Amino acid sequence: MRRGLISRSAAELPDAVLAARVERVRAAMADLDALLIYSNNTRAAGVSWLTGFVPYWSEALLVLSREREPVLIVALTYRVKRWIERTSRVAEVVHTPRIGLEAARMVAGWKADAAVGIVDLDGLAAGIVADLREGGPRLALTDATAVFARLRSAADPAEIALAVTAASIARQALAQAPGEGGDLAAIIAAVEGAARALGAEEIYIAAAPDLARECRFRRIEGAATLGASFALRATVAYKGAWIRLARTFGAADGEAAAGRLATAVAALPDAGGFAGFASWLVEGCRVAQPLEPLLGSRVTAPHPPPPRALVSVQASAEIDGRPMLIGAPALLGGRGEAASLLVQPL
Amino acid sequence: MLAQDRRQRLLAAMAEAGIGEMVLYGNAWQGDYLRYAADFGILEGHGIAVVAADGATELFLDSATEADRAEAEVPGISINFAADIARAVGARLERVANRRLAAAPRRFLPGWLAQESRPFALEDGTAMLDRLLMHKLPTEIAVLRRAAQMADDAYRAFRQAVKPGRRQYELVADTEAYLRRRGCPDNFMIIGSGGTDVLGMTPPSERRIAPGDLVTTELTPAIEGYFVQICRTLVVGRANDAQRRAFDLFRAALEAGIGAVRPGATAADVARAENDVFRRHGLGEYISSKWTRVRGHGLGLFCDSKPHLLEDVDTPLVPGMALIVHPNTYHPEVGYIVLGDAVVVTETGAEVLCQTPRELFEVTA
Repeated sequence: MRRGLISRSAAELPDAVLAARVERVRAAMADLDALLIYSNNTRAAGVSWLTGFVPYWSEALLVLSREREPVLIVALTYRVKRWIERTSRVAEVVHTPRIGLEAARMVAGWKADAAVGIVDLDGLAAGIVADLREGGPRLALTDATAVFARLRSAADPAEIALAVTAASIARQALAQAPGEGGDLAAIIAAVEGAARALGAEEIYIAAAPDLARECRFRRIEGAATLGASFALRATVAYKGAWIRLARTFGAADGEAAAGRLATAVAALPDAGGFAGFASWLVEGCRVAQPLEPLLGSRVTAPHPPPPRALVSVQASAEIDGRPMLIGAPALLGGRGEAASLLVQPL
Repeated sequence: MLAQDRRQRLLAAMAEAGIGEMVLYGNAWQGDYLRYAADFGILEGHGIAVVAADGATELFLDSATEADRAEAEVPGISINFAADIARAVGARLERVANRRLAAAPRRFLPGWLAQESRPFALEDGTAMLDRLLMHKLPTEIAVLRRAAQMADDAYRAFRQAVKPGRRQYELVADTEAYLRRRGCPDNFMIIGSGGTDVLGMTPPSERRIAPGDLVTTELTPAIEGYFVQICRTLVVGRANDAQRRAFDLFRAALEAGIGAVRPGATAADVARAENDVFRRHGLGEYISSKWTRVRGHGLGLFCDSKPHLLEDVDTPLVPGMALIVHPNTYHPEVGYIVLGDAVVVTETGAEVLCQTPRELFEVTA
């Protein structure tokens, strides 16, 4: 559950930006009378992109129609209405424990046999789907994932700026880690404390405490012994924008690894540059999961990111015979332009 | 060891119910059903564990990053990364469609998986899992005691963080850093600060702490996935008479609630004992859903477990259940106040887990 800073800044996320995004979605709704987008704290990036709303827990459905202002139906109680209104841009907030039932009744009240598109219908919780059918038995429910994904994937200047801030927070936070040695719990505390004090909405720290023994990241509980070379990964959210930044400490030549990563990233969405890495992963927001796997060494159903998409890249490699884990957020170029890292993973 | 204890208990329950395979769903909002069997604390995306009657457990995750992490953290489990987790689990279940299959919580499953047109039928196994989650093993209670100690210590760190001029999110940053330094990987907390303008707690904002503020927090660290909560209120400066009087009422309500915890009582009995204190003082309005959500709830692998302590919840209390009793609500004279302690139901009553004094703390203005 989120417990970092959740706030809305009119400077960083102006009403005009959110209104423009809503208008783009409305324009793409074509034959749909309404579009429903689900949000909880792991799939918040569809609704937050349109309204700024980030649930710290619980769940919500955003109801968009071509003629009406967006309505947010939340399972959070009435007591936090003012908080939702302060942190979001929606015309109306409706509180109910059965968000599917309320959404269906609302849309059916407008038009009993309305065509309702649902983003990620197959992934929507079975209980909510049942409530939608109960609340609007004549509604025609269809999957609208593709419609939404076409609009959601490419970043606008506001989203890029938020991602740059998230990347900056991650970089400053990881800078709290000493280059070698120390107590891992104390290092993680310093990194996480710094990120939260800089306004991170969320931060997940993962560590590979001893790269000579294990090259995978894990969440640390209790004590862990640091090896001569270790790696940290900071996954940071800032006002709905998520990035990952990973660094290896105590390695021989971090600059070489960073250079190889930058070269591979520059060619994205062509993944050929990652051929020399032992493993690699490109994640980004396609629909509502903030960091969905898009491309990678274990991704069998790739979703190549479009031009101007924000992604986070992770890779592992051997440099001079020593393992390294590295990662950074990146922005894909426009057509014919190279992609570039938002921040150096050093 | 703890994870093995849980899995053995799950397998025994499945055998008793005649269930061949159990499907358990989780995400970072509510991951307790998934963690019970797979012992994985999911942070991103959907996760589904499939547990066979012989104990073999497969974990399906739709985040590649999470799948990598799971491979490092839960080596005894077969990990499957699948971008379309519903269809991947569906393909797995088709192979055992002739067996009795159950899911928990079934209503949270991706809708595709629960459709009637699938070649397998998923019964609702939520009630069975709820019993396992609510009625703790002695090894689970032992971990809860450790988490309660962590909650006491973290509240002390929180009090030290509260200073006039600091922003709410900076207090949370200090508290989280303290917990990480202690090796505690997870926590849930919400916060409020101010006076009669504060109707409840939320994630931290940019608001600066000011002299005279009531500062409330619900702090819930987790150890090995088990959450224990503490709720306390402090004053920045010296508490005034109204704040003291109001706090005394909440303390009386908490003590009444804890006093009602015993085997044979129900969740409703505990809520009623708390609420009667407010009613006796003419504050019955403030125990309604307009002002307060629940009067406490279960604790364990989820920070807001069943049973919810409400006057219409007739879940019987049995030894081994862990609860937080918290008569948190709005007080019209001073604003929102929280006070709550975690307890375990014993054979004769309640064992209070947290040791932090039930007082209205004062910090330097």
